[in-house]
Amino acid sequence: MFQYILKRIIEMIPLLLVISILSFLFIHMIPGDPARLVAGKDATLEDVNRVSIELGLDQPIWKQYISFMGNLFQGDLGTSLKTGLPVSTMFADRFMPSVYLTLLSMGWAVVIGLIIGTLSAVFKNKWPDHLGMVTAVSGISLPGFWLGLILIQIFSVQLGWFPTGGSEGWKSYVLPSITLGAGIMSMLARFTRSSLLETLKADFIRTGRAKGLKESSVLTKHALRNSLIPVVTIAGLQFGFLLGGSVVVETVFSFPGMGRLLIDSIAFRDYPVIQSALLLFSVEFILVNLIVDILYSTLNPKIQYES
Amino acid sequence: MRKVNSWKMLFFALVCSILLVGCSDEKSANSEKGQTGKEKEIVIAVNENFISMDPHNTGDTNSNSVQSAMLEGLLGFDKDGKIIPVLAEEYSVSEDALEFTFKLNQGIKFHDGEDFNAEAVKTNVERIMNDESLRLNSRGFNLITSIDILGDYEIKITIEKPYGAMLTRFGSAKMISPKLIKENSSDIPKSPVGTGPFKFVEWVQGDHLTIERFDDYWKKGERVKKITYKPVPENGSRVAMLKTGEASVIYPLPAQNLEELEANKDVVVSKIPSTIARYVSINTMKEPFNDVRVRQAFNYAVDKDAFINVVNSGFGLPLDSIIPSKTIYYAKQDVYEQNIEKAKELLKEAGFENGFTAEIWGNTNSDTMKGMQFIQQQLKEIGVTVEIKSMEEGTLSDEIYGAQTPEDSKLQMWYVSWSAYASDITNATKPLFHSESFPPNGSNTAYYNNAEVDEWMDAANSTGDTSKQAELYEKIQSAVYKDSPWIFLGVDELLYGSRSDIEGIYVETGGGINVNDANFK
Amino acid sequence: MEFTSTVREKKHVVPKKKYSPVREFWVNFRRQKTAFFASMFILLLIIIAFVGPSIAPYDPYQPDYDATLQGPSSEHVLGTDEYGRDIFSRILVGTRITLSVSMSSVLIGAVVGTVLGIMSGYFGGWLDRIIMRSSDVMFAFPDLLLAIAIVAILGPGLNNVIIAVSVFSVPSFARLVRSSTLEAKENTFVEAAKSMGAPHKRIMFKHIFPETVSGLIVFVTMRIGGAIIAASSLSFLGLGASPETPDWGAMLSMGRDYLGTASHVVMMPGIAIFLTVLAFNLIGDGLRDVLDPKTKNE
Repeated sequence: MFQYILKRIIEMIPLLLVISILSFLFIHMIPGDPARLVAGKDATLEDVNRVSIELGLDQPIWKQYISFMGNLFQGDLGTSLKTGLPVSTMFADRFMPSVYLTLLSMGWAVVIGLIIGTLSAVFKNKWPDHLGMVTAVSGISLPGFWLGLILIQIFSVQLGWFPTGGSEGWKSYVLPSITLGAGIMSMLARFTRSSLLETLKADFIRTGRAKGLKESSVLTKHALRNSLIPVVTIAGLQFGFLLGGSVVVETVFSFPGMGRLLIDSIAFRDYPVIQSALLLFSVEFILVNLIVDILYSTLNPKIQYES
Repeated sequence: MRKVNSWKMLFFALVCSILLVGCSDEKSANSEKGQTGKEKEIVIAVNENFISMDPHNTGDTNSNSVQSAMLEGLLGFDKDGKIIPVLAEEYSVSEDALEFTFKLNQGIKFHDGEDFNAEAVKTNVERIMNDESLRLNSRGFNLITSIDILGDYEIKITIEKPYGAMLTRFGSAKMISPKLIKENSSDIPKSPVGTGPFKFVEWVQGDHLTIERFDDYWKKGERVKKITYKPVPENGSRVAMLKTGEASVIYPLPAQNLEELEANKDVVVSKIPSTIARYVSINTMKEPFNDVRVRQAFNYAVDKDAFINVVNSGFGLPLDSIIPSKTIYYAKQDVYEQNIEKAKELLKEAGFENGFTAEIWGNTNSDTMKGMQFIQQQLKEIGVTVEIKSMEEGTLSDEIYGAQTPEDSKLQMWYVSWSAYASDITNATKPLFHSESFPPNGSNTAYYNNAEVDEWMDAANSTGDTSKQAELYEKIQSAVYKDSPWIFLGVDELLYGSRSDIEGIYVETGGGINVNDANFK
Repeated sequence: MEFTSTVREKKHVVPKKKYSPVREFWVNFRRQKTAFFASMFILLLIIIAFVGPSIAPYDPYQPDYDATLQGPSSEHVLGTDEYGRDIFSRILVGTRITLSVSMSSVLIGAVVGTVLGIMSGYFGGWLDRIIMRSSDVMFAFPDLLLAIAIVAILGPGLNNVIIAVSVFSVPSFARLVRSSTLEAKENTFVEAAKSMGAPHKRIMFKHIFPETVSGLIVFVTMRIGGAIIAASSLSFLGLGASPETPDWGAMLSMGRDYLGTASHVVMMPGIAIFLTVLAFNLIGDGLRDVLDPKTKNE
């Protein structure tokens, strides 16, 4: 297992190099000239050209790439074209809030999703199933900004329990994490249910029952564990998505996360920020996937990884 | 055994996340403690993130707004955007508009204890002139040929050729501590040091920026201890913050919520006319728009009042010149009142009795998309079919400024807005109507080319004589308005809301938030 | 809402004549009352998608500036929007756009993703690594960035929205199918088929694919809802249909500024989206119970 992990981590390096080249080419392919956007609407051509030289945008693209990577290896993510601030400074204040929000949203979504999914499967076609599935189905049918705005109306404006936004104190995390987790909770509940229903019909469960094992122990010891594989896949995917920040939730709750920074930077063609953010997301994603793959083999010993 | 592990891991992750959030909570709880005392804090919610705190490198209103609480210039602007002396006690301009002499106020200190004097001014002006990384504010300052210190508190600045907007440039170029410039200039965009009524405390990227009262400010007055600015882009969330009292002031206030907020006793809503002109520029070099009758027909086809009602929820004024009414030298023109018959007649005369198809471009803001739909509906009345092409800002700018010559341009109509300092008519006209300003060299996206108008603009720019300028700009406005290079739509009104226990905070005509006398009642 | 899939009174309908998988499916599916009801709703929507423009009481594009933002009345059943256009007519006409964009984009994504996922899981090795790592790369690229790039390269328009949304779904489908494939691969009947020398293609599509179907169906139905919402955010970003088009998502996003003051402008398309997404999900649940041999009621 340890060797496997090590191998995967070593595999990351060429992958990240490829990603960095691809994303570099990719973001430069999108039409739009940051020099023009920095210089402003009333700029003359002379102004724009001056800005272009100052920002190093007049250099050939491979030179820009090499200087970006050169700085990266020295731990320097570069300077934002738009703000003139170091990219690392801009990330520093946003990264941890994004991580906390992700963990909280995933945390409650996984716990509640598993509980609802399991209850629904166990009480298939009885009222807990129906109630659970109505909750779950409603959760994914609501657009995020809609849910967020309604939560603000109820819990901030009417009841005054939670602030409308920001990232100060645990209270300001409550509404965003509910909004962000609702869809995931619903997905997980549905996947748990369907996957559990499948496993409950499987041979080894029947055998277990036939051997006279207690129903609760059949459920927790055998069925649930085996049905967790697709659930872990979905949870891992969502986790990776969330780390990239959510523009909608960050916008509605004025939350200082990575999503809005990336959107603003794309709009401004702020190459160093986009480039660094993409690399950061890639690293996060690969790590999350690695964890998911390890969980697979923990959950189902039948799945082996070559080491 | 394995199963227990996976559950443990999950539980562990959950506990960790709660602990982490809990920790971060404690930190901020400490910093919040000051709130409850007598020395309260005012929160101001604005719609966008701040970009930079370097006053010599700032193009956006929100950053400017925050800076103006901390930093001051030689000159400044009053409520209506007129130029007033600030750090300068008085100023004079030579007749040929080349020499600017400033007599400085004495006894002013920067937040770091440095003296404000002629030497400090020189350090600042030189920074703007020479520092290549200052991309935005060097305009005008790159014309400076000499800086002469006439005394400890008197300085003369000479430029090589007349530049109409020079006084405005002195107003927007705010002074930073010379010590900061010399010793730590890389900190300027993050934490500036100036002479203003408030000093910088902290800026948490994307979350808030806090400033604190500067007790040695040279103008005495009652001020609140602390002000925190928060970027809150979602309209609904900003309104909610004002209602709950989380924010004491919100700007802009969405017009749709006006009625609802006016009924609220804890909230005061204010509105002021802005210097933001909304219009559709028409490419006057492209057929069929090269016919002035077609462009006039477009203007007659549009109901300006309906525009303000539908697109701006009832707030705004008709654009009755080529510049907003708050701009200096503004002269009102005869508005093209909606007249479908006349519009159709003009089209018929131009040979387009059966109309034609045209394309309108705009960015992807919801207001722009609303406005473009409105234009589409109005022009349909005179038989012109408009196709809307909304493009993401960067793509759009590439399409517009990527054209190297007028012939290259694919632009037909562009739904856009323009704003300039009220005191800066040069910037409100030259980039838009001078034939030197065709893209990519400026924003004359109408490709408006009128030799006479060019000449008048040049003449107005090279004189310091204000009555002559007024006369020239009157002629320019009348000529351009008749030529209809735009569909003239409206001038925005700015709306902002404050809690009723707040005083001394107001929004200026340029969109800046003035907090110089901010306090609780 | 009732969930009465246990109701048996229609059992006598079961025909004894001739065995047909289609008929068996139909009979079983009708037992799933909720899903059946939901599919009737979708069927209704599909009919509306075809006839909507001809039954709409008003021209969905015609503004009336004297009647803006009016609440529901006998004249305008669902009220009017910020231009005074009839919201009911716009929803009717918009059904076609909304349905076709979401359904086609998910189907394209599902087909491509499934093929990649099965191959990846079945063959493993370097192919698996390449497919999975490229899907990692795709995931690492935020949706919006992809969308902007796709639209910038291909130009704006509805077809490109479909492409953009289907591109987002490919990696999710691939990963999902891969993980079910990994499991199915271990099954004895797959081993048996292998040892009997069945060709890969046959094993993949005959033996493994059916094992992935139940997860796939649930995910497709979820993604259709998700695609409606994704397409709406694209419309809102100006990357979709032009703004006068009565696409539900665009109506919802454009109207959200009026939430506090004229909430019906955003309520009505919101409810339409909610019901449609709900219906797709309920159908998905029902289909799974019917189709999947493992969870089928004996």
